[in-house]
Amino acid sequence: MGVEALAESLGQNVLTTTLAKLIGWGRGNSVWPLQFGLACCAIEMIHTATASVDIARFGSEAMRASPRQADMMIVSGRVSQKMAPILRTIYDQMPEPKWVISMGACASTGGVFNNYALLQGVDKIVPVDVYIPGCPPRPEDLLNALMILQERIKAQGITPRQ
Amino acid sequence: MIVDSLIVDRGVSAGDAWITVASENARDALSALKGDGYQLLVFLTCVDHLADQSRDWPARYELLYQLRNLETREQLRVRAFVDGDPPRIDSVSDLFPPANWDERETYDMFGIVFTGHPDLTRILMPDDWVGHPLRRDYPVGGEVVEFSEEHEAWRTAPEKA
Amino acid sequence: MADGAGESVSSEIGQGITIAKTGEPGAFGGELLTINFGPHHPSTHGVLRLIVDLDGEQVRRLKPVIGYLHTGIEKQAEALRWQQVVVVTDRHDYLSPPINNLAYALAVERLLGVDVPPRAEALRVIMSELTRLSSHLVWLGTSGIELGASTMLMYCFRERDTILDMNEEISGFRMHTSYIRPGGVMADATPRFLEMLDRFIAKMPSNIDEYEDLLTMNPIFRSRTIGIGRLPAEDAKVLGATGPMLRGSGVAWDLRRSMPYSGYENYDFEVATSDLCDCYGRYLVRIKEMREAVKILRQALDRLPDGPVNIDDRKVLPPPREELETSMEAVIHHFKLFTEGYTVPPGDVYVAVESGRGENGCYVVSDGTHKPRRVKFRAASFVNLQPLERMAMNHMVADMVAIIGTADAVLGDVDR
Ligand code: SF4
Repeated sequence: MGVEALAESLGQNVLTTTLAKLIGWGRGNSVWPLQFGLACCAIEMIHTATASVDIARFGSEAMRASPRQADMMIVSGRVSQKMAPILRTIYDQMPEPKWVISMGACASTGGVFNNYALLQGVDKIVPVDVYIPGCPPRPEDLLNALMILQERIKAQGITPRQ
Repeated sequence: MIVDSLIVDRGVSAGDAWITVASENARDALSALKGDGYQLLVFLTCVDHLADQSRDWPARYELLYQLRNLETREQLRVRAFVDGDPPRIDSVSDLFPPANWDERETYDMFGIVFTGHPDLTRILMPDDWVGHPLRRDYPVGGEVVEFSEEHEAWRTAPEKA
Repeated sequence: MADGAGESVSSEIGQGITIAKTGEPGAFGGELLTINFGPHHPSTHGVLRLIVDLDGEQVRRLKPVIGYLHTGIEKQAEALRWQQVVVVTDRHDYLSPPINNLAYALAVERLLGVDVPPRAEALRVIMSELTRLSSHLVWLGTSGIELGASTMLMYCFRERDTILDMNEEISGFRMHTSYIRPGGVMADATPRFLEMLDRFIAKMPSNIDEYEDLLTMNPIFRSRTIGIGRLPAEDAKVLGATGPMLRGSGVAWDLRRSMPYSGYENYDFEVATSDLCDCYGRYLVRIKEMREAVKILRQALDRLPDGPVNIDDRKVLPPPREELETSMEAVIHHFKLFTEGYTVPPGDVYVAVESGRGENGCYVVSDGTHKPRRVKFRAASFVNLQPLERMAMNHMVADMVAIIGTADAVLGDVDR
C-alpha cells in the first residue's frame, strides 16, 4: 500500500476532535435519568418513556433507581417539606457531573399549591439546569428539555461545574 | 342500642342524617351505634369553627364520624364538639380500625388529642413540625405573590379568619 | 412546645418513629432485622416508606410511613373560592381527576340544591369510566413492570395515551382536566371526541384480551400473585378497605351499584368480584372492571341525551361567550363570578363516589361565604394502605412488591 492510499483510507476512517468535545458528545447522548417520580408529573414522565414518545431515541431510556448510576435527576412533581431533605440526600449521592431537570410547575415554583406544605421551588435545595413549565408538562416538553440539556452538556468541557 | 339520652341534637343536612353527642359520650355512642349495625367508619375528621359567624357553635372544634351500615346502606354522621388546649376526646381506634390513621391525621392537622390511641404521632407532617396546619389560625403559608388578590388574605390573621 | 399541646401531654404523644433494635429472637436464633424501604425506592409506587421487621426473609411487622407527598390540598381549598377548588381536587388522586371533580361537584351541588341536566350526567359518567380505565391501565402497567412483565407498560400506556388524547379533545388538557365542575361540565363534547370514543370502545375489548394473554395464564405472574397477600373478606370489611381491594375479597360492594350517583342506576353492568382474596384476585377484579367500564361507555355513548350541559344559573356558572357581547347583565354576572365567586348556603354534606381505587369521597362544610370552610377528601388509598401489614405478614420481601402493587395506593391521594 502506497503512502497516498494509506492517507486516503485514514482520511475516511479517522476523525480528529478535541477530547472535551468527544466527552461532551458521549455524555450528552447517554444521559441516564434517575427515576424520581413524585406525583402527577411522574406519570407523564412514564409516558415519555413509552412507545408513543420514546425517550430512548435520545439515549435516556435507562431510568436508574439508584442515584449512584444516574447522571440526571428529573424532579417530576411536588416536593413537600418532608421530602426535601431526602431529595437533597439523593442528589448528593449522585456522582459528578450531574444535572437536574425540574419538571412541572410544582417542582419549579410550587405550582398551584402556594402553601405551608410544599417547597416553593426545588431550586431552593438543588441547582436546576432546565425548568419545564406545565401542570403536568406534556411528554414532548420533557423531550424538549432533555434536548436543551444535551446541547448544554455537549458545550460544556470536561469539567462541567467548576 | 343507642339510647336517646346520649343524643343531644339531631337533624338532616343536605340529605345527610346527623346526630350530636356530648364529647364525653362520643365513644359510648359510637360503640352503641356499631352494635346497631353501623359497622364502617367511613372517615373521621374535624372542623375548626374559629370565627365562623354563620351559626352558633358550642365549641371551637367539631369532630365528625361518618358511619355507614353496609347492609341497609344507611349513613349517619355523629358530631361531637370539643374545646380546650389541647382539645381531647376518647379514641375509637379499637372499635373501628380505620380510625387509627384518621385519628393520627386529625391530631397532626388539628392537634386534637385522642386519649387511648395506641400511637398518636404525626402522620403527614414531619415529626418535628410545629403547629397544626389545618387550624384556622395557622396561615396558609407559602410565598407572597405580588399583586395577587389573595396576597393579604392568605396570611390570614386569626381574628379575621 | 409551640404547637399548643402543652407539656402535659407529651407523654401521650410519641416522639415519632424510632427504630429500636428488636432483640426478639427469629426462627433461626438470630434477631429480627429492621429494614427501611423508601421513600425513594423503585418498588414502592411513589414516595411510600415502609419500615419492616424481617425474620430472615419473612415479614414479621410492617409499618407504612406516609406524608412524603403532603401537599396541603385541604388547607389550600379553604383559601380558594368555590369554583377554584375544582383545580386542586384534580391533583390529589392524580390518576382519577374527573372522579375527584365529580365528588366535589356533587357535594357542592347538593349544598346548592341544584340538579344538572341529563346530558351533563351522561358526560360525567363517560369521563368517570374513561378515567377508571386509564387509572387501571397505569396500575396494570406499573405492576406488570414491577413483577417483571415490562411489555405491559408499553401496551397499557399505548391505550392510556388514547384516553389522554380524548381528555385533551374534550377539555384541552391531558391529565388534570377540571372537566366536571359544580353546575355541570366545562364544555360540551365535540363531535370529534364522540368519534374518538366510539373507535376506542370498539377497540378496547381486544386490547384487554391482549393484556390477559400476557398475564392471566402466565406461570410467572401466577406464581407471584396467587396466594400472596391474602385479605379475607371479614378483615377487608373491618379494616375499611374499598374498591378492588374489597371486591377482590369477594364482597360485592360498589358505590355505583350500592349508592348510585350521576345516574349510574340506569346502566347495566356487573360488579366485578373475586373470591380468591389475594393479589391475583385483585388483578382479575381490575381486568373485569375494565371490561365493565367499556360496557358502560358504550351504553352512555349510545344513549347520550341532547340538551344543555350546564345548569341555567348565572350566579354559579358564567354566561356563554356570545351573550357577553350583547347583554350588560351577562357582563355583570361574569364580572361578579370571577372577582367574588358565588356563595353556598351554610351546611355540610358528604358525597362518595367510586374511583379506580375505592371510595373517594368529599366532605364539604360551608359557612355561607364564597370560600369553603372545610373540604375533606376521604381518600380511598389512605384507608386501603392500612391492611398492608395484614396482607404482607409472613410473606417474603419479594412478595411485598406484588402486595403493594395490587393495593394500588396513589400517594398523592394518601397524603393529600
Ligand atoms: S405540576 Fe401539576 S401535574 Fe406536576 S406535580 Fe404539580 S400538580 Fe402535579
